[in-house]
Amino acid sequence: MSAIQDFVVLTLVKAAPLIYAALAGVVCERAGILNIALEGQLTIGAFAAVAVSFATGNPVIGLLAGVVAGALVGLLLGFAATRFGVDQIVAGTGINLLALGGAAFGLTVVFGQPGASAEVSALGVPGERGLIVGAFVAALLLHLALYRTPWGLRTRASGENPRAVRSAGIDPRNVRLIATMLGGALAGLGGVYLSLGELDLYSDGMTAGRGFIALAAVIFGRWTPFGATGAALGFGALAALQFVLQRSGVPSELMQALPYLAALAALTGIAGRARAPQADGVPYSE
Amino acid sequence: MGLGLALIAAAAMLLAGANPLLGFWALFRGALGGVPQISETLVQTTSLLFPSLAVAFAFRAGLFNIGAEGQLVIGGLVAGVIGARLETSGLIAIPLLLIAGSAGGAAWGAIAGVLRARFGGSEVIATLMLNIVAALLANYLVVGPLHSPGVAGPETAELPHSSWLPALLPGTRLTVALLIALALAFVLRWVFDRTVFGYELRAVGDAPEAARRAGINLAKTAFVTMALSGAMAGLGGATIVTGVLHRFNVSLSPGYGFIAIAVALVGDLDPLRIIIASFAFGILQSGALSMQALAHVPKDVVSFVEGLAIVALAARRFVAGRKQMTALAPE
Amino acid sequence: MYPGGVHAVAGVDLDVFPGEIHALCGENGAGKTTLASIAAGKLKATGGTVVAHGNVGLVHQHFELVDRLRVWENVVLGREPHRGAELDRAAARAEVEKLSREYGLAVDPDAVIEGLPVGIAQRVELLRELARDPAVLILDEPTAVLAPAEIDALFATVRALAVRGTAVLIITHKLQEVVAHTSRITVMRAGKVVARLETAQTNVDDIARAMVGGELPELAARLETTPKPALAVRGVSAGESSLAVRNASFEVHGGEIVGVAGVEGNGQSALADAIAGVIPYRGSIELDGVALPAGDPARRIAQGIRTIPQDRRREALVLSWSIVDNVALGDQRRPSLRKGVTVDRGAARELAKRIVERFDVRTPSVDTSVSALSGGNQQKVVVGRALAHEPKFLLVYQPTRGIDVGAAALVQSRLIEARNAGVAVFLISFELDEVLALSDRVIVMYRGAVVGTFERGAIDRARIGSLMAGAA
Repeated sequence: MSAIQDFVVLTLVKAAPLIYAALAGVVCERAGILNIALEGQLTIGAFAAVAVSFATGNPVIGLLAGVVAGALVGLLLGFAATRFGVDQIVAGTGINLLALGGAAFGLTVVFGQPGASAEVSALGVPGERGLIVGAFVAALLLHLALYRTPWGLRTRASGENPRAVRSAGIDPRNVRLIATMLGGALAGLGGVYLSLGELDLYSDGMTAGRGFIALAAVIFGRWTPFGATGAALGFGALAALQFVLQRSGVPSELMQALPYLAALAALTGIAGRARAPQADGVPYSE
Repeated sequence: MGLGLALIAAAAMLLAGANPLLGFWALFRGALGGVPQISETLVQTTSLLFPSLAVAFAFRAGLFNIGAEGQLVIGGLVAGVIGARLETSGLIAIPLLLIAGSAGGAAWGAIAGVLRARFGGSEVIATLMLNIVAALLANYLVVGPLHSPGVAGPETAELPHSSWLPALLPGTRLTVALLIALALAFVLRWVFDRTVFGYELRAVGDAPEAARRAGINLAKTAFVTMALSGAMAGLGGATIVTGVLHRFNVSLSPGYGFIAIAVALVGDLDPLRIIIASFAFGILQSGALSMQALAHVPKDVVSFVEGLAIVALAARRFVAGRKQMTALAPE
Repeated sequence: MYPGGVHAVAGVDLDVFPGEIHALCGENGAGKTTLASIAAGKLKATGGTVVAHGNVGLVHQHFELVDRLRVWENVVLGREPHRGAELDRAAARAEVEKLSREYGLAVDPDAVIEGLPVGIAQRVELLRELARDPAVLILDEPTAVLAPAEIDALFATVRALAVRGTAVLIITHKLQEVVAHTSRITVMRAGKVVARLETAQTNVDDIARAMVGGELPELAARLETTPKPALAVRGVSAGESSLAVRNASFEVHGGEIVGVAGVEGNGQSALADAIAGVIPYRGSIELDGVALPAGDPARRIAQGIRTIPQDRRREALVLSWSIVDNVALGDQRRPSLRKGVTVDRGAARELAKRIVERFDVRTPSVDTSVSALSGGNQQKVVVGRALAHEPKFLLVYQPTRGIDVGAAALVQSRLIEARNAGVAVFLISFELDEVLALSDRVIVMYRGAVVGTFERGAIDRARIGSLMAGAA
C-alpha cells in the first residue's frame, strides 16, 4: 500500500541523520568519551557541506568537507577531554554553543545573510538514497570494527578501564582521540545528510535537537551499533508519525516532544538496566 | 587565555570583513559607553546571574544542570501566564509572580531530580531533554490553550503595569531584579560556607561515597539540589518576564541557560566571583548588538567565543573533586 | 616529584640479579611503588637511569584488568594476534593456554574477569606480564589478597621463575614471607634506601627496625574484659553472588574485640556494609537488643555505631577538605557541632586539635588539606573521628592497610584502649597476624559464611588457616 510505503520511506529519511549521530555516540562512549557535542557536530557538518558546495559548486566535495569538519570538531573535543583535562560534559556544551554561533556567523560571512543560506548544489535524490543506505552500512562496519578487530578491542577496553590499557602499553588517550574523530566524522556525515541530502541549503537551527535524540538512542541501544541503529529507526518512525498525524488535531509539539519524553522514560530504567562502559565520561590522566 | 580568545575573536571579525579594532571598540562602547548602555549591560548581567548561580549550585553537589535554559523558560512561562491574567496591587502581584516562577522552575528541575534520585538516571541527559520539551510545551500552551485573545505571536498578553518590577533607574530596563540576584549570590555564599545543608551538599559533590557512609542521603540531596537549582533559574525567567519584557515570549532567552555554564566555570563555582563573571559576559551580550550595528560584525561571533571559552576553560579543578577517578599518588 | 614538591624517590640505587628473589620493603610513602613504576617504565624519573637487560613486567597491587572483557582479551591487549584487520581469536586463546601450561597457572581463556575470584584474576595479570617474556618481574604486594594456599602457589611460581633466570623483585610488607622466600632485601624509608640486607643474616625484627628507624612501640597490655551484649548479628545475608555474606550470626559485647579472619572477597565487605547500613540485607542487626532499620547510616551514627571503612580516601575522607572540615563529617548535625542551621566552626576546630594531639597526627595545622597527609596520618584522623563521640560499637575494616609501621602500632593501641573503655569492637582485617594479635575472639569467614569461632585462649593458627582456605 502506498501509504505504508510512504511511511517507511519517511521513517528512513527521518532516521538517517539520527543513525549517523547515534553511531557517533556509540563509538565515542565505548571509548569512554561522553559526547554531548553531537548536536554541534551535526551543525558544523551541515554548514561546512553547504558552504563548500557553494564555493566549489560540487556537492560531493561539500560532503567530504562536512565529514572533515565533523572530524575536526571531534578532534577538538577529544583533545580538550584527554590532553587538557577539561570535563567532557562541559566541553561538549561549549562545542555546541561554539558550533551554533560559528555556523550563524558563517552564514553571514559566506552568504551575506543571516538565517539561511542560498540554495546550493545538493546531492539530489540518488545522493540522499545513497546516504540512507550508507547509514546502515556504517552500522555494520562499526559493529565489525568494534568486536572483531584489535582496534575495537582497544577502544572497548579504553572505555572500561583506561588504566589497564595503559599497562598494556597503549595510551588510552590516543585511542579516545581516534574514537572522537571517527565519531565526529560520522556525525558530520549526518549533518551533510540534513543539508545536502534531504534539502539543498543550511538554515539556522536545522539540526533541531537531533544530536540529543541520538544520545537517547545510544542509551536505548545499549551502546551497541545495531542497538543504536534500531533505536534511531524507532525515533525516525515517531517523527514520521508526527507528519502523518499533523492534521488530526494532535498538537505537533506533542509529537515533536515524543522522542525526548521517550528518552526521559528510558532513564527510569523501563528500557532495562543496561550498563554503560565503566569509564564512560570519566577522565583519564597520568 | 583571555588574550587568546580576544585574538580568535579578532580573527573572526577580520573574516567577516570587519575591522577588529572597530569591532572591539563598538563592543565596549555599546556596553559601557553611557548610562543607558551600562544599565542595559546590567540587565544582561542580571539575566545571566540567576541561571549561573543555579548551575554553580548544582555543580557544587556534583550534578550537571544543563537544563537551566528550560527551567528558566518554564519559570517565565508560569509568571507570564499568571501575570497576564492577574490584576492586583503590585505588592501582592510581584512577589506572587516571582514565587510562582521559582516554583515552576523548581518543578522542572525536580523532574530531573527525581529521575536521578529515584532511578539513577543521568541528570545530564534528563536536563538536556527537558530543555527541548520546555520550549515545545511553552510554544504549545501560549499559542494554544492558554492563548490570550488579541495576541499575535507566541507570547502572552502584556502584564498590567502594577505587576511590573520597579525600575532601579527610571527610563531603563534595569530593575530591582539586579538587587534580588545580588542578594541571592550572597545568600548562596553563606549557605555553602556556613550552613549544615551547604556542608552536606559540598560533601556529596566532593566525596559522594564518604558522604553516603556519613549518613548523608544522596538521593534526597540530589533531588533537593535539582529542585533548588531549577527554582533559581525559574526565578531568573520570572524576572525577565516581569522586569524586562513585561510579558512572556518563547524567545525570552538568547541561551542564558547555556552561557550560564561558562559563567559558573569562570566564576570558579563561587557565588561572589560569579557576580563578576556575569558582568563580564553581560558586557559581551549587550555589546554584541552594538558591534553588529556599528562595525558590521555579526553578533554570533559572541556566542562562538563564549563556546570557545567553555571549551578552553581547564576545568581540571572541578573534575578532580567531582569524579572518584583521579590519579591517586601511590602510597 | 609529586605535586606538592615532595620527592617520592631520591637517589636510589638498586640492583636485582637474574635468578634472585629480591624483597623491597618500606613503610607507606617510602616510595616503593613509585620506584617500581619507574623501573617498569611507567613513570619517568627526573634524574638517574634505569638499566634493564630485557623487558620489565609489573603486576600491580590493584589489578589493571578490564573487568568486562575476557581473559584472553586482557592477556593479548596491545599485542593482539591478527589476520589482516581481524582479530585472531583462536591464536589468542592458544597463546593463553600455552602460557598457562608453561608457568603452571591454570585459567579459562574465555572467562570474563568480572566473575573471577581474586586469586585467579591475579594469575591473569601475571600471565599478561609473563607473555612479554620479561627479564625482570616486579610484584607489588602480591599476597595482599590471597589465601594461604594461594600464597604458597604463588611463591612456587616465583621460585620457578627465578630458577629460569628471571630477576624477581617483590614489594611487600609481609616480613614473614620476606624471610621465608627471598635472598636479598632492600629497605626504603622516605624515598631513600636505608638498608641492604642478606636475608640469611637477618630476621623480622631487624628488618622492621630498619623500616621504622627505631624500636617498635609495644602494643598496650591487655586488661580483663567485662562484656555486656552490644551488637548482635542474626542470620544476616547481604550482597551479591560470590561476594555475598550468607546467614551470618554472632555477637560483639562491649569491652571485647571480635576479629574476622578471612581472605579478601569472602563476604567481609558485604557484612561490613550491612552493619554500616549502606546496603539492604535480610536478617536482623540489633544494637542493645533493638533491631536496627536497614539502610539508615545516619541513624546508626546517631546511636553510636561508627565505622572505619576499608578505603579511607574514598569512603571516609573528603580529600580536598581540611582536617577541621573532615572531623565534622558524619556528626555535622550533632548539637555539639552546630549552631542552629550553621556549622559550629569553633567546636569543629577544637575537635580537630584534640584529635591531632591525641593521635599524633603529623600536620602543619588543622587547616591543612587531608590530601597532603600521608596514609598513616589520614588513617589517624579517621580513627580519631570515629572514637571522638564515645561510640558504643566500632566497626574497623582494614585499619592498618597501606600505612607505616609506626602509625599502625598507634592505631592498634588506640583500638585496644577503646575496647578497654567498654567499646564493642568488630575488626575485619586481611592480615591474619593483626587479627590474631588484637582479637579476644576470632571468627573465620569463608564464602560468606561464618565457618569457625575461636576464643583467645584456644586459637589454632593452622586450623584457622585451613578454614580460611575452605577446608571443612
